[in-house]
Amino acid sequence: MTQTVERPPLSVAQTWLGLIRCFPGLYSLTTVIRILVFVGIFQATGLIIRFFFDSLTGSAPLAWGPNAWAAVMLAVALLRNGLIFTDMYVFFRWTFSTAATMRKNLLEQILSMPGARSLPGSTGEAISRFREDADEVGNFTVWALFLLATGLFGAVALFTMARINLRVTAFAFLPLVIVVAVANLARVRVQQYREATRSAAGNVTGFIGEMFEGVQAVQVANAEESMLAHFEKLNETRRKNALRDRLFNEVLSSTFHNVVSIGMGLILLLAGSALREGSFTIGDFSLFAYYLTFVTNLISTFGVFVARWKQAGVSIGRMDRLMQGAQPSDLVRKTPIHLSGAFPPARDQSTARTELLQSLCTTGLTYRFPGSGKGIFDIDLRLERGSFTVVTGRIGAGKSTLLRVLLGLLPAESGEIHWNGQRIDEPASFFVPPVSAYISQTPSLFSESLRENILLGLEADDAEVTQAVRAAALDTDLEQLENGLETVVGPRGVRLSGGQRQRAAAARMFIRQAELLVCDDLSSALDVETEQQLWERLFARRDATYLVVSHRRPLLQRADQIVVLKSGRVEDAGRLEPLLERCAEMRSLWEGRGSDGAA
Amino acid sequence: MRPSLQLYRRLLTRYLRPQLGQALLLLFVLCINILLQLTNPLIMRRFLDSALAGGSMELLTRLALLFIGIAAVQQVAAVSSTVLAENVGWRATNALRRDLARHCLRLDLTFHQQRTPGEMIERIDGDIDALTRFFAQLVVQLFGNGLLLIGVMVVLLREDMRVGAAIGTFVFITLLVLGRLRNLAVPHWQRSREASARFFGFVEERLAGTEDIRASNARVFTLFRFHQLLRTFWQTTIRAELLGFSMINIAWFLFSVGDAIAFVVGASLYFSGALTIGTVYLIFHYTNLISQPIERIAREFEQFQRAGAGIARIQELFATESRLAETPANAVKAAPLPKSGDAGQAGALAVAFEQVRFAYPMEAPPDFASSTNGKFALDGFQLRLEPNEVLGLLGRTGSGKTTLVRLLLRLYDVDSGRVLVAGRDVRQWPLQQLRSQVGMVTQNVQLFQASVRDNLTFFDRTVPDARIWKAIDELGLAQWYASLGEGLDAQLQVGSGGLSAGEAQLVAFTRIFLRDPGVIVLDEASSLLDPATEAFLERAVARLLSNRTGILIAHRLSTVQRADRILILENGQIREQGKRSALASDPGSRYHRLLQIGAEELEI
Repeated sequence: MTQTVERPPLSVAQTWLGLIRCFPGLYSLTTVIRILVFVGIFQATGLIIRFFFDSLTGSAPLAWGPNAWAAVMLAVALLRNGLIFTDMYVFFRWTFSTAATMRKNLLEQILSMPGARSLPGSTGEAISRFREDADEVGNFTVWALFLLATGLFGAVALFTMARINLRVTAFAFLPLVIVVAVANLARVRVQQYREATRSAAGNVTGFIGEMFEGVQAVQVANAEESMLAHFEKLNETRRKNALRDRLFNEVLSSTFHNVVSIGMGLILLLAGSALREGSFTIGDFSLFAYYLTFVTNLISTFGVFVARWKQAGVSIGRMDRLMQGAQPSDLVRKTPIHLSGAFPPARDQSTARTELLQSLCTTGLTYRFPGSGKGIFDIDLRLERGSFTVVTGRIGAGKSTLLRVLLGLLPAESGEIHWNGQRIDEPASFFVPPVSAYISQTPSLFSESLRENILLGLEADDAEVTQAVRAAALDTDLEQLENGLETVVGPRGVRLSGGQRQRAAAARMFIRQAELLVCDDLSSALDVETEQQLWERLFARRDATYLVVSHRRPLLQRADQIVVLKSGRVEDAGRLEPLLERCAEMRSLWEGRGSDGAA
Repeated sequence: MRPSLQLYRRLLTRYLRPQLGQALLLLFVLCINILLQLTNPLIMRRFLDSALAGGSMELLTRLALLFIGIAAVQQVAAVSSTVLAENVGWRATNALRRDLARHCLRLDLTFHQQRTPGEMIERIDGDIDALTRFFAQLVVQLFGNGLLLIGVMVVLLREDMRVGAAIGTFVFITLLVLGRLRNLAVPHWQRSREASARFFGFVEERLAGTEDIRASNARVFTLFRFHQLLRTFWQTTIRAELLGFSMINIAWFLFSVGDAIAFVVGASLYFSGALTIGTVYLIFHYTNLISQPIERIAREFEQFQRAGAGIARIQELFATESRLAETPANAVKAAPLPKSGDAGQAGALAVAFEQVRFAYPMEAPPDFASSTNGKFALDGFQLRLEPNEVLGLLGRTGSGKTTLVRLLLRLYDVDSGRVLVAGRDVRQWPLQQLRSQVGMVTQNVQLFQASVRDNLTFFDRTVPDARIWKAIDELGLAQWYASLGEGLDAQLQVGSGGLSAGEAQLVAFTRIFLRDPGVIVLDEASSLLDPATEAFLERAVARLLSNRTGILIAHRLSTVQRADRILILENGQIREQGKRSALASDPGSRYHRLLQIGAEELEI
């Protein structure tokens, strides 16, 4: 299961229908208003113009004078504005809601993926999908509506024109058939250019994100200019792609316009004799001209629609790739977005507690990083209740990977995990608090208060928070804070030092009161005293079962079981003394620390 | 902050000047386009009048064919002008993006600690995207349509003064009304964009922290916050959208008024015999022709409003100044740097702190333990390091170790006192030279989703591969780098799929080796390395420290074994300082006690 199974993303039509299913009221309301405006109001306007010109030459069917038609024109305009304004609210609500629905579904899906493998690329790239691609699909549905309304208008117009003069109508509209053919031929290109432009844009935003995430490193390395040079190169690529995209679209839409202009010329050519004879009035001519402007719209709308259809397809594909492992239709799953009214609860209401941990086993657990072939292979592991297991090994031996695969943060390729003898099929949703809690090597904090960062939505009173803070040896730091627990820790917690971040994450772990505590090199950013304090407090909780990555001698000595990893495989396992005797790798790791700790 | 016209002009001249040739070409094509647009209706009038007067079919056919020909050429001109404008727009905004990115990259940490990378994406790319439209469309839409408008007015005035006056008044009033409404929505767009930046900033941050969200079972809570921010985003956006749209709606109504005026004026002049029916049609046609430019202009005003909101935020960013005053160029001449001839190998440099006092700026308390507001992170701090001396810096988190290094690298400026490198105040050093002379390896290594080469050189393609390999060889890391696959071209994956935190440290070591500075700071550089690799790297660190002055910040005692001198910090004060060997053998010293704790640990 390392590679996502290739399956086609949702088609544009399916996405469209799915979104309509989410907000049927909004879409039908805006459809009805648009049809009213296009078929009712816009037709009426054309007829008013026709009657006006005929009233000048005295061939109008009604005896009203030109000024009366001017007045009717204004009245219809007022009605039109009222309708359109109503439509705007509905329409904006629709586009916003559909984009929000896709964004929420994306986020929900990403959050349900194995946490360490939830994104296929950089976060900046993912953001460009959240931002532009969701909008793109929303825009498409609007163009679809335009097409419907102008299409209906066109049908009525054709009928009216055919009744006035069939020959002129037929010849003026003949070129349109050619246009449809051209548009169909151009389809493939639109998609290619679009994809190139989008991915170039993703590279730009991705790089901005990385550049500013590492701004201190860049400044310290004096690398501003070389970073900017690279940034400029990415921008330049995007410009070229966007330009090609634009040129192609413009030529396409201009072709439509052009054919219509020729149609207008054809009307002149064909209607000349009829005008001379008087069988075609100036009013008829003005109506044909008015219709042609609209037909221009219809045809360029059709052209845009075809292009947008393709572009929406590209965007859906890009969003689909973010939804690794989900059903394609989950992108447009109906889900509340709460633009008004009460918010849903902030925390998980389900309180199902699994039975107490007696033993945890893995057999043949294997994971390979796509591409590199590194990973972990055939890991057999057994943890007993209340035991303390240390995973150790060289850099790149797969220690962190082992923890992640066990917890379902990376998807196992093969192998089984058993909890009290029962097979766990979905470790990702099983190994969460209160079953297990976990601190990664570089834990993430968010731009919220320290309290919120520790709780992450958990319900707990002040006493519990204070206790967790103490257990994590963060209490002295906290005393020095002006706003205490309410201090906002900055983007990704940058206002805390590395050690403080790690201990905040430790507090996050403690407050969850889990059966199994999993720590990835908890000590890496802590000073000697703080670390000692932390472990003392950690061991005070006797009932918990520990699985930690460490090279620290005191922990190795204390361990009930040491698992020595080498190149992703278990080299040996057991207590320290026997391992030191029989395992060369263990000795080398132990000596490594010893050699520089002795002086 | 409301963007002034002057600001628009400044942006235009600054970023359009480098592309004068393209801009002139654009202007030329635009004028042709407009001329053709003006001509065709006149042909149509001639046709209508001739047809109704019973003119020859030959003439009518010729006129119709001419009409078709002109329409075709006009389309070519229209496409060319759009594409040219788009090109000019992208070039201009790319230059602006670069300048803004450069400006922000140079801002000090006080600025960056308040902003997520997602917010920076929104500000550097999102805001400028709105500006791309501004640049690309401004010329074509505002300038081109303005010209077309003037052309139509000239033709109408020549037809009949009364018609020209009536339609002219209409155009004048319409533009006035739309102009008046112009700035109405700007503050709302600004709010909407801010809400959007916060929303996407939130998403970005959470996407980067999925592992913790998953493992802490915080999905539901994350979605709760998502909904909260989404609603603010919606509320600000709908307000701005509706206000912006009202303006277009008003414009549409005004065009209908224009049609009605053309009807009334045209009809009365036709009945009085002043105009032919073809001319009445011409007036009506022109009235509709200019409604398009006016609408476009109005629409561009709306784009202006969006761009205006973006410009205001860009201006705000540009106005944010680094707290570090750049050294004036003449100051460099005034006191020549010691041994600064070739930046590459200046040899070890002396470092000194004299009576340094520093508190973190109020609005951005960074490591909070050291910054209960107003409290000094360092106060009266004194330190002297001779060239080639290696200092081991110890202390709890928040004791001021990191602050000290930040001052040395001039990520912040001291409040009083001086920091000296090679006997010269760091504020007197050109920032770039200072940072090429003082190198640092941090706890968290920033990697880029790019090749190994780009990660090592920070995308500087002028560094030859041979130099990179030499640095790798000297560090003894050739084998490790080879294991990555395609050598320097191997792509590093950011996040948990790629390098472990320890491996990232190896990259950081190589980075600094390449830069070859005179002073080196290792901030807990070995903390994430496993012991076997760490022992292996010791030799490399020795290479790194030879002929260099070094500061080793460590939370672990093993890291400072290499130091000549030990300094223990506590709450920004020196708690203890002296030769390492002397302190280690002095039972009363704090260092000795720390060694004991370390030793005890080994015997638990």
